[in-house]
Amino acid sequence: METLGFLIDGFAVALTPYNLMFALFGAFIGTLIGCLPGLGPANGVAILIPLAFSLGLPPETSMILLTSVYAGAMYGGRISSILLNIPGDEPAMMTCLDGYPMAQKGRAADALAISAIASFSGGLIGTIGLIMLAPVLAKFALTFGPAEYFALFILAFATLGGITGKNPMKTVIAASLGIMISTVGIDISTGTQRYTFGVLELYEGIDFILAIVGLFAISELLFFVESRIGSGHKKVNVGKLTLTFKELISTIPTQLRGGILGFIAGVLPGAGASLGSFISYTLEKRVIGKRGSFGEGDIRGVVAPEAGNNGAASGALVPMLTLGVPGSGTTAVLLAMLISLNITPGPLMFTQNADIVWGVIAALLIGNVLLLLLNIPMIGVFVKLLSIPPMFLLPIVTMVAFVGIYSISNSTFDLYFMVAFGVAGYFLRKLEIPLVPIILGLLLGPEMEKNLGHALILSDGDWSTLWGSPLALGLWAVAGLGLALPVIVGPLLRRRMRSALKEGPISD
Amino acid sequence: MSGLNDRILGLGLLVLAVAYGWVAQQWPEPFGGTEGLGPETFPTILSVVLIIGSLYLMVKPDPDAQWPWGKTAIELLVAVIVLVIYAVILEPLGFVISTTLVVGTLSWRMGASPGKAFLTGLISAVVVFGLFNYGLSLSLPAGLLEIN
Repeated sequence: METLGFLIDGFAVALTPYNLMFALFGAFIGTLIGCLPGLGPANGVAILIPLAFSLGLPPETSMILLTSVYAGAMYGGRISSILLNIPGDEPAMMTCLDGYPMAQKGRAADALAISAIASFSGGLIGTIGLIMLAPVLAKFALTFGPAEYFALFILAFATLGGITGKNPMKTVIAASLGIMISTVGIDISTGTQRYTFGVLELYEGIDFILAIVGLFAISELLFFVESRIGSGHKKVNVGKLTLTFKELISTIPTQLRGGILGFIAGVLPGAGASLGSFISYTLEKRVIGKRGSFGEGDIRGVVAPEAGNNGAASGALVPMLTLGVPGSGTTAVLLAMLISLNITPGPLMFTQNADIVWGVIAALLIGNVLLLLLNIPMIGVFVKLLSIPPMFLLPIVTMVAFVGIYSISNSTFDLYFMVAFGVAGYFLRKLEIPLVPIILGLLLGPEMEKNLGHALILSDGDWSTLWGSPLALGLWAVAGLGLALPVIVGPLLRRRMRSALKEGPISD
Repeated sequence: MSGLNDRILGLGLLVLAVAYGWVAQQWPEPFGGTEGLGPETFPTILSVVLIIGSLYLMVKPDPDAQWPWGKTAIELLVAVIVLVIYAVILEPLGFVISTTLVVGTLSWRMGASPGKAFLTGLISAVVVFGLFNYGLSLSLPAGLLEIN
């Protein structure tokens, strides 16, 4: 039981008072980020990166902080789904379906409590899955050569749009834009200045952190200015908790099914938390069938998607930690933190930075317990905060983004860059060019080029080496499928999701 | 013409891709030649991919987006200008003054009453400044308020 030993070491890292404090802080902030509309998880984590960085937090503490925020955001998303019928983040869409009707029936407190418990079990199942699967996958990934890695990166981009993605060509365009930005600066292998145009600030390349913060945070502000929904929501009365123990027990099978399905959806490329909660919900509806009252406030209709999206959140960490290839926006931002901490993500991290990996995994387990504790007794606090109008909140968030970026380098040059990225992000989002592939391109671009270079050196310049091994060929095939499937089954799935929801999904 | 947005975007991207690819061909051969991958190889591939992507966009554009016109467009422009001004005045005026002005203006323009907006700005500025300079010992510029 090698894994168990590592896990115990991980707990030793995560349970130090210092790290525990940051985990608690992260869980709180994360729930807040999840529940406030206009502050998605990717956005929230992105803003915290420069802060964690300039505070000089040790790597394991930074990662623990950010993973707690990530886990917390998954919990928080459900609060506004249930109370206001507005998902706080995308994966929480499905929770609206039965959560809001429950709240309307006066069972808001019950819906919030049971969804917190479902989130907990989903998160727990997902983390257990992560503990079992990650070391195996990491060991397998050690057999990857540069050609396989190059194919894997292509696969990551190809599946990023997700099966429900709209126009795969726009994903391709976004990814190439991101990689193109990453080529600015001095080329590592030859020392050639690329696209610097003699500007000193560009020699080291464009810092992906300011690009991420600009693309997410600033464009979000502009979207809110445009839609003019500055005023807050009226305060909602939560009511008394009437959940019975029997009811709780009756949802356990649903929790297990939801968590496991969610985890699988999280691990698979191109699925992610949104699809995880969707699959869990639809399956549950099919299993229960006519005996349930789905759509009218069935308690299992709240449990299934919440267990699903939290399971998926942990599942999504598997490819990020073992292969260094994230499958979602938020895990991409977590990867950005790793890279800026100078840690090379991938299978070697499990041996070279075991304390960080296992510290993060242990922190996920602890974080889930903390979140459960935070989310049941303190739910009132979050509900109150939910009524903060975005017209006050978003300017402050923007200010924090400015502070974070400024404090990294103490230069205002970066701030202009960030605003420029924000404006670009606004236009791109308007034109439905997804932002996540851009971010991923920025992060993976240098690695891609490096692996391509290594592969070609090993093969003496023979390009066919890229699809020379069966494994690489398989990865290319999956990548091709990832681009082709959305065109074939995408419209079908989208229609189903839309008919399940009355309103269209919120992009993030 | 429907799909004009994507056609214009496609055209812009095409110009970018060609320029990007062209610049890559101008770099001198690195000293001693290259093994496998030159500095221009990867950018050239990217440029080709983007050229294909942008041509596709022009041929098969998606339906147009809804663009804000009139008042909303002006509000957006104001927001961007305010952000740029923030970057300009942050150092000379100092964090507290510039943040009060910027956060205040932004929340006022987003619909808050001016009094409440600037009060929010002032409070958030003072809290963050205090937290950073005294709590976390990261220095934000004091600007005009600097006491020597």
